[in-house]
Amino acid sequence: METMSLVGAASYLPENIIDNEHFIKASGIKRHPMFRGTKLRRHMDPTESATSMASAAILSLKEKLSLDLEKDVDVLITNVTIPDIPFVGCGAAIVGALGLKPKLVYDLQNGGCVSFIFMMELAQMILNSSSTKSVIICNIQTAAGRICGQEDNLKLPQSAVPGDGCGVAYFTKGNTNPLHSAVTKTHGEYANDMNIVTNDGRKWWEPGSTAFNIDFSEEKISSVIARGNKLVPEVMYESLALAQLQASDIDILITNQPNRIFLRNWREAIQLPEEQHINTLPDHGNLFGAAIPISLALGLDSGRIKPGSKILLSGFSHAGDYSASATLTWNG
Amino acid sequence: MSTVHSNNSNKPESTEQVFQAVNLDIPNLCRIEDTPKEDMQEICMEMTHAVYPHDKIYGEFCSIQEYINCPPEKVYEYLANTSNFLEWTFSLRDMEYNEEEDLYTFTDAIGGKTKCFCRTTSSPEAMTVDYHCAWDQENKLWMVYLMRVIPAELVLDKPGSVVLWTNCCHPFYNNNPYPESAPSDRKVWVGDMWPMFYAGHSIEMQNLKKILEHRHTQKS
Repeated sequence: METMSLVGAASYLPENIIDNEHFIKASGIKRHPMFRGTKLRRHMDPTESATSMASAAILSLKEKLSLDLEKDVDVLITNVTIPDIPFVGCGAAIVGALGLKPKLVYDLQNGGCVSFIFMMELAQMILNSSSTKSVIICNIQTAAGRICGQEDNLKLPQSAVPGDGCGVAYFTKGNTNPLHSAVTKTHGEYANDMNIVTNDGRKWWEPGSTAFNIDFSEEKISSVIARGNKLVPEVMYESLALAQLQASDIDILITNQPNRIFLRNWREAIQLPEEQHINTLPDHGNLFGAAIPISLALGLDSGRIKPGSKILLSGFSHAGDYSASATLTWNG
Repeated sequence: MSTVHSNNSNKPESTEQVFQAVNLDIPNLCRIEDTPKEDMQEICMEMTHAVYPHDKIYGEFCSIQEYINCPPEKVYEYLANTSNFLEWTFSLRDMEYNEEEDLYTFTDAIGGKTKCFCRTTSSPEAMTVDYHCAWDQENKLWMVYLMRVIPAELVLDKPGSVVLWTNCCHPFYNNNPYPESAPSDRKVWVGDMWPMFYAGHSIEMQNLKKILEHRHTQKS
């Protein structure tokens, strides 16, 4: 099996920066745990789309890596939280917007906050079973502007946590910056613990006068916390073992960014100092699936990921329906 | 809440009255009157880690527990009989008993020829058995093993017993105040083994479980 190598990563963050005051004002609540941890986040503008965000991120990647988008992208794999059109993902629209000529395009709907790792795993399978040589993986998070920014939802303290953004990464066949392991897990028993809720009890696609929101059943909160504490360390150690690495070999940890306590717990689980865990939560909020590639781009751009760094990617999604972890080495 | 043994003299008189929490002039209490539920949830999350260093759990106290498929009164009776140390402990042997002082003397083979003294106090009603022990001398029995037997019927909805076992890290574990009483050639001190108490006690608890379950099954 040929190895897949990370070439680079880039991101796009909407210009619309929103501070906590916005949510404090809207909710009329001055103190709330949801207002701690995240200070700023971006909300996509109504004139922006998942496709335009992805295009901007891919153009940034093109600049960084001097890519010829027509020739250098054999495969495009995307995941978007709230798509531009409910029927479809963004793959074809991105291809059209940027004039890509990929042989294969896949829009993934599962994986949520760890869909980046699901897409890495898929990319490796594709590279190994076809004549394709290069892949762009693209995570677009749009739920902050599109859901939390709605007047009805803005009043709820939890709306302060999500932020929008897009992260992309470019992989090719090769072993310069090799992916050592990728482990993904599906936990079907937790699939229905996150729901779309409406004030009037209608289905989200039915007409109504209030915004729908994404919510966890209150009675499940403690279990979801326990799941995050268990599922993520479990899959971390599994992917380390698969790569024949020890937790102490890891230089950089990148996870999804649900809240500061999960970040602490996951870091503690591999006994990594805080400065070696890339944390975008205070400045960008919970970026859902985009958190992993955006953190990756941030780590590479800032020089925190140094040549020779062993990187551990991990996380879980929604109420625990998916968990995943991967290891790779960045040689530069 | 009703209890089986109602000897609590502080119980309120049974009336139609609804009793409320009183304001206490004590700082830093965490009660729903001054801590909103959302804050409480955050505090709880903060306190809940994914992993815990051994020392964080077993540093100051060593509490273990086990389910034993044997009736609680049998388990209590067995624990209350100190001579059973000869069966279920790892290294307490050569028992002698001084009736006048109600004091047991063992050799703790883990410390070579070390003497281990024990006086047992137990309460059949509470099903608690406390072993007041010490290495080397009997004047201050500072190593206290606290055991409690609970009917599993009450807490696990099944027959059998739950055994709780706690030791507290008395300062003497860190510093032997009676070095002169130790056998002259002994290098180890019981307190040096404190980091292994969880493991050692768990193994002994398994001995206890195996012995009691074996006998209980034979009988039934």
